[in-house]
Amino acid sequence: MDRSLRRRLEARFGDRLTGPVRQRHDQTEIRIRPADVPEVMRELHDDPTLGFEILADLAGVDTGTHMQVVFHLWSATTPDWLRVVADGMPRDDPRIPTLTGLWPGAEWMERETYDMFGIIFEGNRDLRRIYMPPDYTSFPLRKDFYLADDAARSPGGGVRHMEQTHAPTQATPSVVRRTVKA
Amino acid sequence: MTTTTPPQHPSADDPRILLDDQIGAFEAVPPYPPRTEREAEFYSLGDGEMFLNMGPQHPSTHGVLRVVLKIDGERVVDLDPVLGYLHRGVEKLCETSDFHHIISQLDPLEYISSLFMEWAPVMAFEQLLDVQVPRRAEYIRVLTGELNRVASHALFQGWMALDLGGLTPILYSFIERDEIVEMLAAITGQRMLFNYFRIGGVNGDLNHEFMSRLGDWMSRASVQNQANTDLLNDNEIFVRRMRGIGRLDRETALRMGTTGPNIRAAGVPFDIRRAHPYSVYPELEFDIPTRGHDGGGDSLDRYLLRIDEVKQSLRIIDQCLHNMPDGPVMAGLPRLLRPRPGRAWAAVEAPRGLFGTYVISDGTDQPFRMKIHDPSFVNLQLVGLLMKGNLIADTMAVMASLDPVMGGIDK
Amino acid sequence: MTAIARAWDNLTVTGKILVPLLFLVLVVAPVATVLIALFVGPWVVDVLASNLGIVRFVVAITGVLVFTIPTAFVIIYMEMKVIARMNLRIGPDRVGPYGSLMSVVHGLKFLSKEDFTPTGADVPVFTLAPVVVFLATVMTFLVVPFGPGLVAQDLNIGLLYLFAIGGMNVVGLLMAGWASFNKYSLLGGLRAAAQAVSYEIPLTLSVVGLVLLAGTLSVYQIGAAQAGWFTDWFVFRQPLGALIFLIAGTAEANRSPLDMTEADQEIVAGFATEYSGMRFAFFFFAEYVNVFVMSALIVTLFFGAWNAPFPFPDVAPALDPGSLGIGLVLLLAAAPVALTLLFAAPFYLARSSTPAWQALLLGFITFSVVAVGGLLGAAYLGLDWFAGLAWFMVKTFVFVFVFVWMRGTFPRVRIDQLMGFAWKWLLPASLLNLFVTAAAILVVEALNKAG
Repeated sequence: MDRSLRRRLEARFGDRLTGPVRQRHDQTEIRIRPADVPEVMRELHDDPTLGFEILADLAGVDTGTHMQVVFHLWSATTPDWLRVVADGMPRDDPRIPTLTGLWPGAEWMERETYDMFGIIFEGNRDLRRIYMPPDYTSFPLRKDFYLADDAARSPGGGVRHMEQTHAPTQATPSVVRRTVKA
Repeated sequence: MTTTTPPQHPSADDPRILLDDQIGAFEAVPPYPPRTEREAEFYSLGDGEMFLNMGPQHPSTHGVLRVVLKIDGERVVDLDPVLGYLHRGVEKLCETSDFHHIISQLDPLEYISSLFMEWAPVMAFEQLLDVQVPRRAEYIRVLTGELNRVASHALFQGWMALDLGGLTPILYSFIERDEIVEMLAAITGQRMLFNYFRIGGVNGDLNHEFMSRLGDWMSRASVQNQANTDLLNDNEIFVRRMRGIGRLDRETALRMGTTGPNIRAAGVPFDIRRAHPYSVYPELEFDIPTRGHDGGGDSLDRYLLRIDEVKQSLRIIDQCLHNMPDGPVMAGLPRLLRPRPGRAWAAVEAPRGLFGTYVISDGTDQPFRMKIHDPSFVNLQLVGLLMKGNLIADTMAVMASLDPVMGGIDK
Repeated sequence: MTAIARAWDNLTVTGKILVPLLFLVLVVAPVATVLIALFVGPWVVDVLASNLGIVRFVVAITGVLVFTIPTAFVIIYMEMKVIARMNLRIGPDRVGPYGSLMSVVHGLKFLSKEDFTPTGADVPVFTLAPVVVFLATVMTFLVVPFGPGLVAQDLNIGLLYLFAIGGMNVVGLLMAGWASFNKYSLLGGLRAAAQAVSYEIPLTLSVVGLVLLAGTLSVYQIGAAQAGWFTDWFVFRQPLGALIFLIAGTAEANRSPLDMTEADQEIVAGFATEYSGMRFAFFFFAEYVNVFVMSALIVTLFFGAWNAPFPFPDVAPALDPGSLGIGLVLLLAAAPVALTLLFAAPFYLARSSTPAWQALLLGFITFSVVAVGGLLGAAYLGLDWFAGLAWFMVKTFVFVFVFVWMRGTFPRVRIDQLMGFAWKWLLPASLLNLFVTAAAILVVEALNKAG
């Protein structure tokens, strides 16, 4: 746990943090609004006192009530991993600005997150499905995805319709699902 | 639910279709209008260009990768990797498996270096559960992990030569890999998908067969490694095929999220074992080799760097054997694990780079969400950058030097 | 009549076809043969005798066609085994002793596979391409001298013929690449064209110096010019030419490391991607026959053809069996029995438990081995063509081994490196070789005149 990192982050992003900075084991976690992501990330990357120059991971999370995008960053200035949680996207139309301007390598990770959760990264110039077939209509890692239900509508079911790119509302209707306070 | 009739794609099997009019049916162009800016740009052909669909069945795409190449003669103008042919939905599987079960789910991700696929999630689970792993178990993890790294890099060496058209080195590589894999099978019971690490330790202590095989191998490992290396490094054709091809500079490597040997070959000494030490690596002496000159590394650098890494791994294995403490290899844990709700992230330095796991627990015996970050997935993005303007033959040299494993990429 | 009719009715359909055929073969054919022999025979013999060249040509073509398939089989087996040993594998070991029938099984496998023509292929061209490739390769055998007198056609422009026919090979590859309606094939075919055009030049130029030295274009004459000690071989007078010929020959035969046309890691199988069954087998055979032809050419042009590395004393008159007179008959009658008994004696005496028949059998086997060895030795010493053939085959297979060895060792070069090498290095080197040779000949002539 790097206490000084916590102070530095609080001092710098105080008003943009939507929750307290949390620290556990070797991880420091901050929460921001999705719209702030490019700005905050650019500061984290460019500021030499922070210097988070490696994007270790980009993950989507469906908490059951809303959507998150979680970034893990590494910097030589701190022994901690920094976890940035872009929180509070609505499940029916999750949108977040892209990170590809800062880390072009985030492109595929964003594609994967789009493919699995239907989170739309605005500004990503190649937001296609990456794993699932192009005519797939649902988003498998959402909490309301049920395999048996969805398989009937998959290409194996004989329906080959074009993908409706920006239509996460077409996903399987809600059923009882797990939620978490994440 | 109403289904709209899709526009019929002219099929080659349809006898009504006159081929002369429908030659385009054989192009790699998808049968729907472009969905993104990038797709529209890629699937528009310039003068004298054509598409070449490479894979998913192709001798040298390392499994089931499909790459659509846009070529102008022998020159690759642009390319579009198409993934998903090996997608298993591992992350979804993990959400319905309990914590012990997950370890075996993850083994087949990078089937060349399975132990690392167990290591990161196990570390994340241990954080969730606040478990202290016995020191002997940590040493065994490092020892077996480094052995697995050597096996993985040995195979890379042969693959590299095979993709450049050399038939023989791959079989020499397999000898070395086979010795290590048999050795690991002696303690894990499996040759490939070991399923050996457990939450809180490892499954079973070192045994006699493992130690005798290891001692036997260690006595000639460096000589054997040197022999395999000399076979290739002194070969003019081999070196010329790779030198100056697929140059990756430092800044691009960082921005592209590259990790592992690929970024170190570009001159960035980023290795999780030192950058964010875990396990007992802080106690061990080893160097982080880097390569690259003029601010960048080519295919040859990436190849040579892996050979340097093998030497460092041998050093680590040697130290592990000398410093191995006595004691238990498992922490005492209940059979059914219910961690408190929380989040954990753990990353290890796999042979191909940063392998990370992000776990969210909701207090049940199954993780609520489990994200797997695979290094090959991120590294494979580089092919789009590195191959433009090269020849078709260089596609193989570059792709092999990035060392992707499709099992991990497609998850 | 009824009996025959009943018998006919009892026959199956196959029988009804086979019995008349059998009748034709057994009754009509001998009668026809006798009639032809009686009335047309003399005329046929006359025609054949007056067109001996044509007869020789037809016989040679047949011989060559019959010869190529076993050659390809042997080389394929050899490649499988040798590369396996280099890879620390065992190689084929299931079919036949040490897997030696593996090639035959390959052939059967090709025969039994579906002969597939892809949709959109240019069918006539697609069908013709393997034939062109195979024929172009086989035709080169016509001027290859296997031994003194063992040449199908001693063309006085043999070398020119070789390169002309060898160049036809690439037409077939290009046809295959174009007609397959596959981009990999197309790339392979075009690579073949580019590569053949580039390497044909150094290949041809590298032997011009040799032609100047030998003063003839006839392959047979070039071979004959290298008689005597091995220092008379052209490789010692044209070392650079030999090296260029070897490298360019590797490219011409599409062999690794210059096998761009079928680089499987890049373009799957190149021109042969869409071929299957026997059509693919034609390409396959052509490749290996090509290896043999290239090795044979290297041996003929540079490594003394059929000549032994050192001159043997001419023992043929001493071994003339005619000089024994009636003793020959006695020898032929008595020697087998006597030698069998002689060889059986030690087996019989060594162990008292050996029955006589066993000893005799062992004696006979020993005798057979010794006799065959002796006959071969005598043939080698007594028959020029036999000795020449033996040396030629040994030397050729040494070079076949070199080709296989290269395949097992080298990675493949890249297409631009390949072309660059041909134009930037091989071509100037072969020109240099030519100029140096010409200059040397002039100097030697001038010296001879002066001296």
